[in-house]
Amino acid sequence: MAAQSATRPRGPGVPQAMSGATAPATPLLRIAQVEKVYGGRQGPVRAVASASLEIGRGEFVSLLGPSGCGKSTLLMMIAGLETPTSGTIELDGSRVVRPRRDIGIIFQDATLLPWKTTLENVLFPIRILKLPLAPYRERARELLAMVGLSGFENHKPAQLSGGMRQRVAICRALIHDPAILLMDEPFSALDAITRDQMNEALSEIMDRTAKTVIFVTHSIREAAFLSDRVVVMGGRPSHVILDERMPFGRPRRLAIEETPEFGQVVRHLRLTIEQAHGTAPSGRSAGGE
Amino acid sequence: MAGAIGTESGAMLAAPGRAAGLGGLGLGSVRAVLLPVALAVAALAAWQAVVVLGDIPPVILPSPVSTLRYIVEHWDILLTHAVPTTLESAIGFVLATLLGVLLAIVITYSSLAREALYPNLVFFQLIPKIALAPLFIIWLGIGMQSRVAFAVFIAFFPVVIATTAGFTSVDRGMLRLCRSLTASEWQIFTHVRFPAALPYIFSGMKVAITLAIIGVIIGEFITAQAGLGYLIIFATARADTEVSMAAIVVLCVCGLLLYGLVALGEIVANRIFSAEPA
Repeated sequence: MAAQSATRPRGPGVPQAMSGATAPATPLLRIAQVEKVYGGRQGPVRAVASASLEIGRGEFVSLLGPSGCGKSTLLMMIAGLETPTSGTIELDGSRVVRPRRDIGIIFQDATLLPWKTTLENVLFPIRILKLPLAPYRERARELLAMVGLSGFENHKPAQLSGGMRQRVAICRALIHDPAILLMDEPFSALDAITRDQMNEALSEIMDRTAKTVIFVTHSIREAAFLSDRVVVMGGRPSHVILDERMPFGRPRRLAIEETPEFGQVVRHLRLTIEQAHGTAPSGRSAGGE
Repeated sequence: MAGAIGTESGAMLAAPGRAAGLGGLGLGSVRAVLLPVALAVAALAAWQAVVVLGDIPPVILPSPVSTLRYIVEHWDILLTHAVPTTLESAIGFVLATLLGVLLAIVITYSSLAREALYPNLVFFQLIPKIALAPLFIIWLGIGMQSRVAFAVFIAFFPVVIATTAGFTSVDRGMLRLCRSLTASEWQIFTHVRFPAALPYIFSGMKVAITLAIIGVIIGEFITAQAGLGYLIIFATARADTEVSMAAIVVLCVCGLLLYGLVALGEIVANRIFSAEPA
């Protein structure tokens, strides 16, 4: 399952941001036989059964699967917000047992503080981590410029559109330069057109920052468009059923979704999910947007 | 990191400058002020007319003009009585707010306290608490402490209920984000929970201030040597209705003053913790 874990820098000439002290073959994230069992009223529920996965530095990996396949649960365990029932998760050489400072996280909702300005919201992790604010203020402005929000520093969330708020959330997740970015269906609350734009923007942002990303989604097209690797989860109990490298170059534009090659990959992923589950997740609409 | 990446054109351009309509006083807002004032003036005029034309004796119903005259002529007596009432109300209100917020914190953070306390608090709301006022005199004597304690007793409930609602209104995603950032409970409280709860706390405080005044007045009705409640009872017993009426008017002014202070605090807090553009 963890066959393809070699590091591959994305984009032309993107330097690896992380320190290269360890051998390049060492994965940044190592998930070994992780299982999560919840004690439900009708007996225990296995949300994740024996997931194993290795993710290299700078890789963009999507966890794809239908609702309830345990992909979000796995992400929360990587974030240290949930504890695995068994198995281990190792990030950057140390075990994840609780939340830690070197992850950035983005949820379905932007979860911004409504009374704070855009800039203050981006700086929120710096306040929580008690780092000196002054040097990060400039970095926050740079990040906002990168996502196209220059001039919106002093706006409040209520003045921003859903897509813009999610861009602020991306900046907030990047502000403290985390080793890994965890995204839990970040664009699923957005309309289809905005979602396409956000996908293209995210792809470009990640080409620039060369961050390692784990992206949870139930949209096959979104996963195929964004990822270096797509990890399909599913089955009962849920496990990793496919771990596939996406054969598209970078930078990626939305136009690649029109190519027959892209259609083939999407079809292959859909069939895989259908075989494991009986039905495709969120059907055509998830892909068609 | 230079250069912007694709924008959602429409929303981008539409976002700034949505202040229109908030600025100038339109015809509608003049109407909103004028209409209630006109009605109040008309009611007072009708009252005056009924008393004068109907030749109603002042013992039954003093006219607005004679009440006003009494206030102007005897403002020093009224002030002497207004001070303890206002002071005790304010003390009772502050204590009720502190106690209410404190209990809300306990309820929010301890599931044991929540399960044990909350249903009882809600049940207590149903009791006509005013009936307990005489007991406070028995327990705490006839001094101001019994009146303040009673004011706290009837005023702190709305603060607890509203503040608890505020603390628990916080978006779960926001709490998850804080935990993912290794935030301490104290950081979550100061950065997220408390600011988010402020509008709730103030709505509770606004109810509490009126209840605190009621509590003090009832205390003064039962036993006091000074205060507007005492004055009302004393004057009514002597059929000095004009004095009672004057005391009631002054009480209204004191109540408005205290309420105004709370509302002012709310405006200041809103300005700091507003979702609206600065």
